[in-house]
Amino acid sequence: MVQSGHHVTVGDVALSSYVSLVRSCTLQRGKKQTGRTELGLKYWKNKVIEPNKAAMDPSEVEFLAEKEMVKIIPNFSLDKIYLIGGDLGPFNPGLPVDVPVWLALNLKQRQKCRIVPPAWMDVEKLEEMRELERKEDTFTPVPSPYYMELTKVLLNYASDNIPKADEIRTLVKDIWDTRIAKLRLSADSFISQLEAHAKLDNLTLMEINTIRAFLLDSLNCMYKLRSNLQPGSSKKQFTDY
Amino acid sequence: MFITDIRKDFYEVVANQRVALLVAADIDALCACKILQVLFHCDQVQYTLVPVTGWQDLSTAFLEHKEQFRYFVLINCGANVDLLEMLQPDDDSVFFICDTHRPVDVVNVYNDSQIKLLIKQDDDLGVPSYDDIFQDDDEGEEGDSGNESEEGSEPSGKRRRFDEGAVERRIERRRAKRDWEARRREILFDYEQYEYHGTSASVMLFELAWVLTKDTKDMLWWAVIGLTDQWVHDKITHMKYVTDIATMQRHVSRHNHRNEDEENSLSIDCMRISFEYDLRLTLYQHWSLYESICNSVYTSCNFKLWTLNGQKKLQEFLADMGLPLKQVRQKFHSMDMSIKENLRDVIEESSNKYGMKDIRIQTFGVHFGFKNRFLASDMVHATTALLESTEKDESASDNFIKALDSLSRSNLDRLHSGIDLAKKKLMAIQQTVASCICTNLIVSQGPFLYCYLMEGTPDVKLFSKPLALTLLCKYLLKAFVQSTRNKRCKLLPLIMAAPKDVEKGSVIVVGIPPESETSDKKNFFGRAFEKAAESTSSRTLHDNFDTSIITLKTEDRSKFLDALITLLS
Repeated sequence: MVQSGHHVTVGDVALSSYVSLVRSCTLQRGKKQTGRTELGLKYWKNKVIEPNKAAMDPSEVEFLAEKEMVKIIPNFSLDKIYLIGGDLGPFNPGLPVDVPVWLALNLKQRQKCRIVPPAWMDVEKLEEMRELERKEDTFTPVPSPYYMELTKVLLNYASDNIPKADEIRTLVKDIWDTRIAKLRLSADSFISQLEAHAKLDNLTLMEINTIRAFLLDSLNCMYKLRSNLQPGSSKKQFTDY
Repeated sequence: MFITDIRKDFYEVVANQRVALLVAADIDALCACKILQVLFHCDQVQYTLVPVTGWQDLSTAFLEHKEQFRYFVLINCGANVDLLEMLQPDDDSVFFICDTHRPVDVVNVYNDSQIKLLIKQDDDLGVPSYDDIFQDDDEGEEGDSGNESEEGSEPSGKRRRFDEGAVERRIERRRAKRDWEARRREILFDYEQYEYHGTSASVMLFELAWVLTKDTKDMLWWAVIGLTDQWVHDKITHMKYVTDIATMQRHVSRHNHRNEDEENSLSIDCMRISFEYDLRLTLYQHWSLYESICNSVYTSCNFKLWTLNGQKKLQEFLADMGLPLKQVRQKFHSMDMSIKENLRDVIEESSNKYGMKDIRIQTFGVHFGFKNRFLASDMVHATTALLESTEKDESASDNFIKALDSLSRSNLDRLHSGIDLAKKKLMAIQQTVASCICTNLIVSQGPFLYCYLMEGTPDVKLFSKPLALTLLCKYLLKAFVQSTRNKRCKLLPLIMAAPKDVEKGSVIVVGIPPESETSDKKNFFGRAFEKAAESTSSRTLHDNFDTSIITLKTEDRSKFLDALITLLS
């Protein structure tokens, strides 16, 4: 992780270099994880995935979620800054600007901005989504691919800028619970009925991450059991799950 | 010199520099330090925090850091002594002093280049004017006599006349100078005789944050805690406390007004500060009501709970309010809601009957999350207990950091452990007070009262720390005033000594001013101790920033006391 020993002041070009240093680290980490972030429950043929390496740490998922953009209203002014990940700004006091969540949180903690809650973080909209989720059997479209992490992070650091924060927290948790219940059911039937395909539209990375270790581990066990059933044909062709 | 524009002359000067923060060990300083730390974090100012417990610590810390830092910020230390003489800094070191100790040393006031005081100029200071104390023209005399000797090469007659005139003038001048010096000594003596405290450092730094519009509720709460610390440890008068509370109340209503709205109510996790006209019962919301009444100085002194009669009166008082004993001995949270609802009014009514007119005091409370409610005085007691905890293997700076952490909202378990320690400390204080009064340990020595805690006294280790001993001293004096019949003794100040370090054979001695309704809290023991120590050449250490707290060798105790008696009578 980058050491913040740099003397950083807003309104200084130093900020952009510090920021770009952090961003480059982000990109590197993102790259390492790409293989595992794919939606496929890839089951390597002759390789067994160790269960403890199969899942990402939730904090890593949160880190990726911080790339999402959110609107803030700064109280300082700064020219456009050019970072590796893209351009940000210019910042003018009182005018809304879109920034990644990591920068929004840093500025908020230094009391340099006010965070505007994203459009979907609204009590009525979330109530509708919750009802829809409860009705449908499959997964409904999510408000944002990182809705859980964003809710947690924004409500922890910026709850004074978000109206009715407690209700929003409850509603998002309800939506999450419903979706996880569906995911669990689907994984259960997938393993017990030895299905070959599963439809996983509209799943977010965080949800996949909760089930990843278990699913891969159990499929691994199933593979071992099946390979032991037929001792002679060790080179049997297995269908990819 | 006094700083007028705190933003321009202090904050903007240090904002681009590396700063050394030297912070004294009391709660007001901790709160001020916290506020300044948050401001520095916002603007990414590099700083080093050094806790200091006394003048020696301050000098050592300064020597260690003077190569690397040009700017030093001193919180609650350094104003009442000639800093430049003590530290001998280089010419480019600048000291920003935010201190509540008064009187401010005159050299610190009139030095324009290196010492900047973050104190309001009208803060009850009474600094003597420059011309009364300093005189720049010492060379005038020599120059005059030189000229005269040159002019004297003229005819001898005139020279003799000139000489006589010159000699007269010189005698005149010398007499004027002697008068001036005598007057100067008198003025300085009057000015420096009494020690007292000014506006809280945390309130000053909160106003800095306000001027920068970076003030948050967290900082406001810390400023309130700093102010309450001054009140709990009896450093400021009641009038000043009420005035400062009114100032804080303006800030609190400004913050509350800003956020609350009918439809968009705040999350329960947000911090809410509210003005409370609450009871003077220490820690009553975190204890049982009964324990709190027994261990709060106000109620225990008014009921005289160390006597049997006092216990009976307490039972009567509880019965008068209609509170069943079982309820009252339970933890406060588990009391019946019906009792808790009107508790304050019920207690106020009954306590008026028993002669306790001021059982309620204006203060502030904070409320965040579902179960976290604290009063400012609760926080002060908890943090003081952590700051002066006498556990083994804990250095003073460890305790300082722990106490500093307990002020953040995210370290609630530390705060709760602080509250437990505070409860133990209060109970120890009450028991010590009861035993001292019952065994007549307080002796009148003529101009003052004196009490010595023997080494075998239970919990005497707790009282080897200055703040705890001062608290004990004040409670003891209040209790003594209530229990004695001698009218003259009621007006005497109290000196208390307790063993500090048994191996080194030292005792810590504290002197507090007499107890009275309209006390102005001015303490003359600082100077008295110094003079007594000089006259008897006792081995003393005047290390504490409060000059009325010193360390003394046990063997020198008696001669020191005798010297004090002769000095003060």
